[in-house]
Amino acid sequence: MSVTNFQSEFNKIMNCDYFSEKVQPIRKKAFTNFLKKGIPNKKWEQWRFTDLSPITNIDFHISDTNDAPNQDIDILKYGMIDIPTIVIYNGHYQEKLSSVPPEIKLLSCLDYMELKNWNVEQPKDSPFDLLNTALMDSGICLIADKNYQTKSAIRILFISSGTQHLISSPRVHIDLKDSSSMTIIEQHTGDSEEYFLNGSLVITLKNNSKLSHIRLQENSNKTINMGNIHVQQEEASHYTFHQFAYGSQLGRLNLHADLNGQGAECFLNGLTLTNNKQHIDNFVITSHNAPHCISSQNFKTVLQDHSTGVFNGRTIVSKDATKTDSSQVNKNLLLSTNALINSNPQLEIHTDDVKCSHGSTTGELDTNALFYIQSRGLDIISAKMLLIQGFASELISKISDKEIKNYLLNQFNSWLENNTKK
Amino acid sequence: MLDIQDLHAGIDNKEILKGLSLSIRPGEMHAVMGRNGSGKSTLSNVITGREGYYISKGDIRYKNTSIIDWPPEKRALEGIFMSFQYPVIMPGVNNTYFLKAALNAKRNHNGKKEFDAASFLKLIKEKLETLDMDTSYLQRAVNEGFSGGEKKRNEILQMLTLEPELAILDETDSGLDIDALKIIADGINKYRSGKRSFLVITHYQRLLKYIEPDFIHVLIDGKFVKSGNKELALELEEKGYSWLES
Repeated sequence: MSVTNFQSEFNKIMNCDYFSEKVQPIRKKAFTNFLKKGIPNKKWEQWRFTDLSPITNIDFHISDTNDAPNQDIDILKYGMIDIPTIVIYNGHYQEKLSSVPPEIKLLSCLDYMELKNWNVEQPKDSPFDLLNTALMDSGICLIADKNYQTKSAIRILFISSGTQHLISSPRVHIDLKDSSSMTIIEQHTGDSEEYFLNGSLVITLKNNSKLSHIRLQENSNKTINMGNIHVQQEEASHYTFHQFAYGSQLGRLNLHADLNGQGAECFLNGLTLTNNKQHIDNFVITSHNAPHCISSQNFKTVLQDHSTGVFNGRTIVSKDATKTDSSQVNKNLLLSTNALINSNPQLEIHTDDVKCSHGSTTGELDTNALFYIQSRGLDIISAKMLLIQGFASELISKISDKEIKNYLLNQFNSWLENNTKK
Repeated sequence: MLDIQDLHAGIDNKEILKGLSLSIRPGEMHAVMGRNGSGKSTLSNVITGREGYYISKGDIRYKNTSIIDWPPEKRALEGIFMSFQYPVIMPGVNNTYFLKAALNAKRNHNGKKEFDAASFLKLIKEKLETLDMDTSYLQRAVNEGFSGGEKKRNEILQMLTLEPELAILDETDSGLDIDALKIIADGINKYRSGKRSFLVITHYQRLLKYIEPDFIHVLIDGKFVKSGNKELALELEEKGYSWLES
């Protein structure tokens, strides 16, 4: 997208009369700031290893109501059929296909801002947050009231479809009030041609609340998936994030968790599988801003063919965050000599009396282990599959919900069958 | 069962076995003794087909067929097993899953019905008892967090489960305390039969006190310099290897 292209799409959305007028100044401010910052390039420290030319090479267009489906969408093919689902198709909320448990409040994002008297802080960590605000769709907001305990997981299903080079800017707010709990599955899928999905997800966890967040990134291999996630955690809140990313041509996760209340816990996990010329970049920051918080980052990547990846993890311990307990692990498995990973685990500690660890390993399949397995009667392909399964099993086994886990195992095993070569 | 004829083999262009011949008949147990670097591990690796080794001359025949072009898994499926000197740790790979997959691959190969989870569990529990192993073993990853002795027991457990006809025991006694050694030797002895053959590779005659070989061969610089019966082990214990060096 060129500047002219961004400008014309921005003008289009400013002229859409179905959005409240009150959102216009918010968009405008964000767009001005976006133009000031510009699209990141490799000279930006945080974007050094990621080539964003797939974004700049194509003119993308915002979706209008014509891009909403004119017939029923079959959501069964996306699995996990028993889980209550909110369907967002090319940025359009599909009311008929969506259901949420009655205890959960579901609003459009614009209604949410209205509810908050338009006093909602907009994410602005990266230019893509600003772009999301400038072009955001009506979006959705989920609120779990005080003490509400989720019984089932809730899925937000983002379907990207079509050949018309869409840019979609979903905005999601998730608010968990005191002592509530919820499980969210964020599933990105669809069969689109070139497509730019730039979503921002803002999560607020009040005291003692607990959110389990599973992100499945399984977009088509022509999609760009930019996922901007912001987590604000209050006292003794608990956040667990599990990403399974195997889709898109270019994927980037920008996740920033702020542990603002004493005793907050934040566990970030990710399994990334890439092949062909895919590039997936995980940029995660955990900020300890209060004492007695616990956090971990555990990211693994399996790379085949000419694919590339980045792990850029940072744990920041502020001077008030005494008794911090944090760990950071990145492990990568290269299945091809042409695959490449950049791993950059970082610790930034501004106080004493903390327990922090970090480490990173990258390697190929262990030839001794392959021979060991073969010497027990299994062929080389089975031996490789067994070792890759072993590598990934730690992250998959963390998922406790049976339906989600079975879905994941199926996806993982079919990836494995297609990507384990002699 | 196994016939090795004038075998010349090595790794990285370095010849290690320099004309070795060995014949093992069904039911026999042969022990190969020798110092570090004499070629003991090369011998077990070329029999089991580890990648990277070359054979420049001679042949290895198993049940009257040359096996030097067979991949490792074919040798295993046809009944050759090696207990590793250094069993490999495989994080995240569950013991039960691994052993069941290996056993079913073999049963498939032999045209037998695969074991289901329940019947496999029953079988494996019997074998665990034989080796005085705890059932918690079944939930653990292959060799992860295992002590030296546990790893060696695990190798023998795999042997008892996969029921090979030719078992190569590569330094199985190293790293074992005396109690573990007795249990393992007991497991091996129970497994001996008129149809099963063994090739025991060892530094010391310690293990040979508990499992008595029919023949002992002394390997020096890639060749057998002396063969004899179990008395030879005692002689070696007393005199060392130097009297055999030319």
